[in-house]
Amino acid sequence: MNEFFIPAVGSQAGPLLPYLIVAAGGLLVMLVDSFVKTLKKDHLSYLTLFVLLGAILVQITRVPQDGPVLGGMMLIGAYARFFNFLFLGVGVMTTIFATGGFDRDGLYRPEFYPLLLFSILGMMVLAAANDLLTVFLGIETMSLSVYVLAGGVHGNVRSSEAGFKYLVLGGFSSAFLLMGMALLYGFAGGTGFADLTAALRGDSPDITLLTLGSGLVLVGMGFKVAMVPFHMWTPDVYEGAPSYITGFMATAVKAAGFAILVRFVLLLQPQTAFAWYPVLTALTVITMTLGNLVALAQSNIKRMLAWSSIAHAGYLLLGVVTMISPAAGDSEMMLRSSEIGGSAGSAILFYLIAYTLMNLAAFGIINILGKGRGEDGEEIHRYAGLYHRNPVAAATLTVALLSLAGIPPMVGFMGKFYLFSAVVRAGLIPLAIIGVVNSLISVYYYLRVMVMMYMKDEEEDTYSGTEWVSVVTSGMLALLVIYLGIQPNAFQRAAEVIFRQITF
Amino acid sequence: MSFINDHILTLVTFVPLAGSLALWTVIRRDGLARIFALVVALIDFVLSLHLWFHFDPGRGDDQFVERFAWLLSGEVTYHLGMDGISLVLALLTTFLGPLVILSTWSAITKRVPGFLGFVLFLQTAMLGTFFARDMLLFYVFWEAMLIPMYFIIGIWGGQRRIYASVKFFIFTMVGSVFMLVGILWLFFQAGSMALTDFLNLQIGHEQQLWLFAAFFLAFAIKVPVFPLHTWLPDAHVEAPTAGSVILAGVLLKMGTYGMLRFAMPLFPDGVTFFAPAISILAVIGIIYGALVAMVQPDVKKLVAYSSVSHLGFVVLGLFSLTPMGVAGGIFQMLAHGLSTGALFLLVGVIYDRRHTREISEFGGLAHQMPLYATFFMIATLASVGLPILAGFIGEFMILFGTFHSSTLVHAKLFAILAATGVVLGAIYMFWMYQRVFLGKLSNDKNRNLPDLNLREIVVLVPILVFIFWLGVQPGFILDKIETSVEHVLAPLGVEQHHESQTSESHHARILPAGGTGSPNFVVLEAESH
Repeated sequence: MNEFFIPAVGSQAGPLLPYLIVAAGGLLVMLVDSFVKTLKKDHLSYLTLFVLLGAILVQITRVPQDGPVLGGMMLIGAYARFFNFLFLGVGVMTTIFATGGFDRDGLYRPEFYPLLLFSILGMMVLAAANDLLTVFLGIETMSLSVYVLAGGVHGNVRSSEAGFKYLVLGGFSSAFLLMGMALLYGFAGGTGFADLTAALRGDSPDITLLTLGSGLVLVGMGFKVAMVPFHMWTPDVYEGAPSYITGFMATAVKAAGFAILVRFVLLLQPQTAFAWYPVLTALTVITMTLGNLVALAQSNIKRMLAWSSIAHAGYLLLGVVTMISPAAGDSEMMLRSSEIGGSAGSAILFYLIAYTLMNLAAFGIINILGKGRGEDGEEIHRYAGLYHRNPVAAATLTVALLSLAGIPPMVGFMGKFYLFSAVVRAGLIPLAIIGVVNSLISVYYYLRVMVMMYMKDEEEDTYSGTEWVSVVTSGMLALLVIYLGIQPNAFQRAAEVIFRQITF
Repeated sequence: MSFINDHILTLVTFVPLAGSLALWTVIRRDGLARIFALVVALIDFVLSLHLWFHFDPGRGDDQFVERFAWLLSGEVTYHLGMDGISLVLALLTTFLGPLVILSTWSAITKRVPGFLGFVLFLQTAMLGTFFARDMLLFYVFWEAMLIPMYFIIGIWGGQRRIYASVKFFIFTMVGSVFMLVGILWLFFQAGSMALTDFLNLQIGHEQQLWLFAAFFLAFAIKVPVFPLHTWLPDAHVEAPTAGSVILAGVLLKMGTYGMLRFAMPLFPDGVTFFAPAISILAVIGIIYGALVAMVQPDVKKLVAYSSVSHLGFVVLGLFSLTPMGVAGGIFQMLAHGLSTGALFLLVGVIYDRRHTREISEFGGLAHQMPLYATFFMIATLASVGLPILAGFIGEFMILFGTFHSSTLVHAKLFAILAATGVVLGAIYMFWMYQRVFLGKLSNDKNRNLPDLNLREIVVLVPILVFIFWLGVQPGFILDKIETSVEHVLAPLGVEQHHESQTSESHHARILPAGGTGSPNFVVLEAESH
């Protein structure tokens, strides 16, 4: 019991090194900012990049030592590493974009850097969680930092409102989560994932407690991934937060939510599947459809992408639903179901990569537009004629939006291909049809931005801001979007291998 | 040489793409961009000639096959291949390519490198669609076609270009997404995306009906089959001349090609079930397109509606399920590509000079522009299907094939009704010609119009030559496609067999069931009736 409370970190430092680097880096950045007075503006960003790249480097170079650490509180493995790369990569991009964002606003926020690192630490912990307590710890570390990131723009009312709204609703969701965890604790007699599995396999599991508890936990996670009807905060928060933060929330935070959601539903399979499958299916359909339909009516690109991110959460949930879809009928079907689960799970991972790349490319551009007018590049009508003023930015945004719409040869199409083929393999044809009809609807609102950029003439108040570092970074992401749209195989195979590891 | 033979399809497909990347990135000057694009398109045409000369018309299966693993563990492949049908359509594409680029010399003046880049990108997507033998690869090319066309219409188009381009995009997407679900379902059944594996599947009757409907919708929108045609006039009218030529010349054929290559052989039950309804729609399209064309005040819109009518013929020919009707349908695709392409180019010529296409603005142009009037006459005659010009052969074979179709109920009635479309076609085309070119030169604005210049002649002459050539020597094309048509229709073989038995007395003589007769023989015999 002693080692539970004061874990022997020293012996387990190896697998935990990336986490320690990010945590120590966050503290370091915070201290440097407070005590070093001769600091130039960009120095903190270099330091943050150094920390993030260091963590990535350690991830790559170290021989993996997979297995549970800290007395089973965390599970280090390929799955956690995959998400670590994703979070750290998004962190690097966000740091780069933030510089452009500060430049645009003329407002420097040194507290951004440590908060970013802490929230990434929370996500990394979340992806490696092997205990309900770790889940809560990760979610709260992540969320508390993001509340401040979203809401802390000095003197910006909309940002403050966004932060406050996010905080209140986030607190609400934490309450659900905690209640659910308490019930699960009652069910399993422990908080570890292993305890849960053991209790499930035990003689007479208390299904009522399990169903209630897992339902409440799913609600809490639903908030984080913006599943309807727990999506209310998304449009306002995405709109109010500065664009580089919005990009971070739309990609990393959402990916973190899915990292734990996938773990959790797999953990409680097949019991949760039977209890919650119909509800989840219905919510998935509503999430996709509502997200796309409301996005049609937006005139603010950040709100539009917020609703589109809800819709994309719907596509990802489609994968989750497919993964746990109860194998109906004969034994052959049972045999196949693990295969279907595997293809759906790896499709979710691939889709997360695709979604992250294309969304970051889009937000990277949106972030720097509108320089000199004290706003983000958010009004769609001000994109008129952007192509004339800044062809590279327009082309990058075009690639990102076409990819979000799922048009080949972009990676978004490949993501949908893997996802929908898993859905069809599971025999869920109606869901697949609803999915493709949704991506059809989405084409319309993505096209609208392109119409503005290319087909309308320049107007007086067309955005023109540029900041070449952000444009080049987004441009590289766009190239990656195209490259992975043509050669996705390596990533997809990796996703398959990674997914197999968590299902054993 | 073997390297060329092994990779020729990839080369033909992707050379234009390389050109478009260069145009988008390094080439900035307009003049250079035009010459560069032209050279790339010519190189591509020359490369595609290799296909023409090394193609073995005796084989009905795919030639010049390239195949290697692409996705998953090799279930999805990069798989290109070419049979006679793909050959002639690909040649049409590469042939029109340089001409289209040459025709934009003076019409497109803003953002020239961007425009030409999109034209070449479109070329790659279209060629890929014709060559792809893997369903996912096909779908990728098929969807990728939307992007360049969307921008060509939307950036360089006319007044209502945004509406037209978005409508084009959305309409086409509506069809394709259902096809995607169908493809995924078949993928799951077959365990691979290869077309040949799809063809080997045993699909239940009911599933075939659903899948056929999904595929047919995608292709019917592209053709377009009545009543899904409403995007076409908008797209044509708003598109710049080059866009219209590509749209009418090649893009619409994607639909009929898709029906022939995928929808029909994969789902024979679907074909039998839906053929009567589709034939009715095709006949409605033929007559409706002609009637609407008749009342158009705008020359370009008139030509656009004539496309609806002409492609109705193609669809009718395909679903007659007779070798002659199908071969006629393919021939008509080519003939329509050439004649309508020429008409759009000619309309573009006058639009460049007068910036209007209203018929009422013209009259008596023949006095002022005799050469132009002559060229226009030839294209008009080809379009209405005058013997010795390309249009005649196709329409005749289609009507003949339909008339003798044994699978189609009321086939004779359909053929007769469709034949009225030919008459109506003559009426609206000649009436338009009369109002624009004949009579007195009434509008003073037309007094000083220059006749065709050398560049325009260079663009038009090759097309007109081929219009004549195909009209006189149809075997030139039919030779290449005959075996392939039989090969593609083999899965529908039950019907063919059945047909050759029932109408043996008449039909078997014209096209022996085994396909042993030479195509020239087929046509000569056909014409003698």
